[in-house]
Amino acid sequence: MTEARFDELIHPSTRLSLVATLAAADWAEFAFLKDRLQLSDSALSKQLTTLEEAGYVATERRLSGSRRKVRARLTSTGRDAFNGHIAALRAIVADATAPAEGPPV
Amino acid sequence: MDNIAPEQARSALDAADRARRQVAEEVGLPRGYWWAMAAGWLLLAVLGNVLSPWVAGIATVAFGVGHGVFASRLLDGRRRTDRLLVSASVAGRRIPLVVVGMLFGLIAVTVLAALALDADGAGHAGIWAAALVAGVVGFGGPEILRVLRRWARA
Repeated sequence: MTEARFDELIHPSTRLSLVATLAAADWAEFAFLKDRLQLSDSALSKQLTTLEEAGYVATERRLSGSRRKVRARLTSTGRDAFNGHIAALRAIVADATAPAEGPPV
Repeated sequence: MDNIAPEQARSALDAADRARRQVAEEVGLPRGYWWAMAAGWLLLAVLGNVLSPWVAGIATVAFGVGHGVFASRLLDGRRRTDRLLVSASVAGRRIPLVVVGMLFGLIAVTVLAALALDADGAGHAGIWAAALVAGVVGFGGPEILRVLRRWARA
């Protein structure tokens, strides 16, 4: 079972969507991520760089015909961090919905 | 973590789920697969008309084997586009069964359509029936698969 661990780096909404997208794929191309997340080239690059510096994402540049394409994938560290973050979010929601313990004062 | 409100946590979970569903929408087979299948469908019908039954039977078996060899990598549904590779956990393991089931269903439709056209006195009923189904496969294959996936929860 995944240990719940809130991750400040992943939590911002854009980054969370980016990591969640990558968690559902083995790899995704820059253009796909840009379309799905509706980000500009520079905004997506910035997010990927942040995640790459943390060791959560790995990028790879590939030559496809005459065009250079960038693929991103989640590393095992990033996957663990994402799963831990999701578990932490679920724990917060579960705590809020669980009935209060002990008799009312 | 303490300063995250449950509502914030819930909307973050929703965002993560939405992202996962967007990737799940990418599950399927490439367009080229459906058009190749449509072409094969029509070709087999024509061969069935011009060749002797056993040669046509061999051609059909060869087509089935060729499909198994060349399309096996595609049947898991993770490579619909070359823009991402959907993870195995998101694609599930039932896509190949759904695709093969769909193909068997389309064979049944072809046979029934051919019988109906033949009973109506149409010449080359098998070819016309295959042309009809080939059109359905080529134009509507991805959509049919999407509906079948939903029914099969695959």
